[in-house]
Amino acid sequence: MAAAPLEVRSLTKRFRSTTAVDGLTFAIEPGRITGFLGPNGAGKTTTLRILLGLVRATAGDALVEGVPYRRLRDPASSVGAVLEASSYHPARSGRNHLRVLATAAGIPHARIDETLRQVELEDAAGRPVTTYSLGMRQRLSVAGALLGEPRLLVLDEPANGLDPEGIRWLRRFLRSFAADGGTVFISSHVLAEIAQLADDVVIIHRAKLLAHESIAALTTRAAGGTIVRSPDSGRLRERLSAEGIEADAADESRLHVAGPPERVGEIAAAAGIVLHELRGEGASLEEAFLELTGAEE
Amino acid sequence: MTRLIGAELLKVRTTRLFLWLGLLTLALETLVISLHVGKDSLSSLGEPRQQRDVVSIAAVSALISLILGIVASAGEFAHGTIGQTFLVAPVRERVAAAKLIAGALAGSILAVIACAFAWGLAALLLSVRSVPLHLGSGGAVRIALGTILAAALTGAFGIGLGALLRRQTAAIVIALIWLLVGEPLLLGIAGVERYGPGRVIASVVEAGNQGSDLLSFGAGLGVALVYVAIAGALGTLSLSRSDIT
Repeated sequence: MAAAPLEVRSLTKRFRSTTAVDGLTFAIEPGRITGFLGPNGAGKTTTLRILLGLVRATAGDALVEGVPYRRLRDPASSVGAVLEASSYHPARSGRNHLRVLATAAGIPHARIDETLRQVELEDAAGRPVTTYSLGMRQRLSVAGALLGEPRLLVLDEPANGLDPEGIRWLRRFLRSFAADGGTVFISSHVLAEIAQLADDVVIIHRAKLLAHESIAALTTRAAGGTIVRSPDSGRLRERLSAEGIEADAADESRLHVAGPPERVGEIAAAAGIVLHELRGEGASLEEAFLELTGAEE
Repeated sequence: MTRLIGAELLKVRTTRLFLWLGLLTLALETLVISLHVGKDSLSSLGEPRQQRDVVSIAAVSALISLILGIVASAGEFAHGTIGQTFLVAPVRERVAAAKLIAGALAGSILAVIACAFAWGLAALLLSVRSVPLHLGSGGAVRIALGTILAAALTGAFGIGLGALLRRQTAAIVIALIWLLVGEPLLLGIAGVERYGPGRVIASVVEAGNQGSDLLSFGAGLGVALVYVAIAGALGTLSLSRSDIT
């Protein structure tokens, strides 16, 4: 079985008396966009930096394609990383910044122009980075991450400071990367952005894992309710009530049920009741997130 | 390893660091050589030993090379580029080794330029004063070779020191205070001044021309290598153990 693109097992990091990451375990699926959510200070950046070999874990494992980052044979072709507040030498041009990275990684310099084209930064490539806007710097970070044509992109708060046009560009770009089979792991506290972009989410709070599932499952579970439509809604309501599940009539045939769709479907099937509609009553990602993190307060 | 060394040299080349430090070296040389040749008597300038002293200002490149190494190394922390360096090359010990080698190479290149400029300028100014040239004498050539070797050593030492201290201004100030004040004072009191880093580098620069106040070239080179090894090892240890947050 192929190793997960990214996996952490019982990952813990302590900085003196502060526990930044506490026993985190999850693995992300290949070919999907996974959002990494948590309030500021939850431990997202520390987790990403451990995964990328920049910070040493106190305990546990952080693996990229099954091995610690530092043991990757060709890290640039495995992972492209866009770190929060990526830093540059102010006097170095964007092109020279990429030349340094490409030289160190043994990547043909022809890739530099390709990635500059990809991030639409060709015209500014010769200018010192100090003259770049924040959006241009983020594009340069993305170009650096793409140099080795990686299978996985890891991005830490990439939308920070970007204008709406920059955010739209980033969203479009990541979707196209994923559509081509790439895997994306993106940390953010901008929930609306993740809701539009990601397939799955990993949510951490106060250094601990709260949830790891698809956005669809999370929002449904958070709402905890089901909409069901049946020509025999009265009998269904009685059956549900007998199972201890409350249901309110929304109209003649439709019920709001305080239970998951799987359970409602099972009860209806057991009673031979015909259903015309059965769906989870979804909350927004923001509502689900606040419900999860609020429950931890 | 070759590509990592290439990347480190490219880092030095693609900022104005090398340019400015190179220009500073040439400006100092111009000042000192002009004063020397302009002020000294024609008879003294005609002596090979005096001409060797005129071009020995190129040895300032060893000090500038130390600063080059410190800035190249600690600058990665100042500008926050060290994270990206470790992302493309996660085995930090290899990065540290590449930095040390690149520091030595950059220092020696700076010294070659400094020596060539000093020789050229001295030859020009001595010719203007119609002084016969003896710049090819053994002493002068040995000083040039010693300077290039010394600059390689100080470049690598600066890399180690910068990686250890990580703050470029603090590292430069500490190095200069040690060389100008600490070493003469402390080691002088202890009676082991000849073994101080500044003095052993001077003994490498002099390359056999030295008086009794310096170690011999071989002993000086040996002690200098020990200093470089210690700074390199501590810098490597610091790089490999630290969290890049």
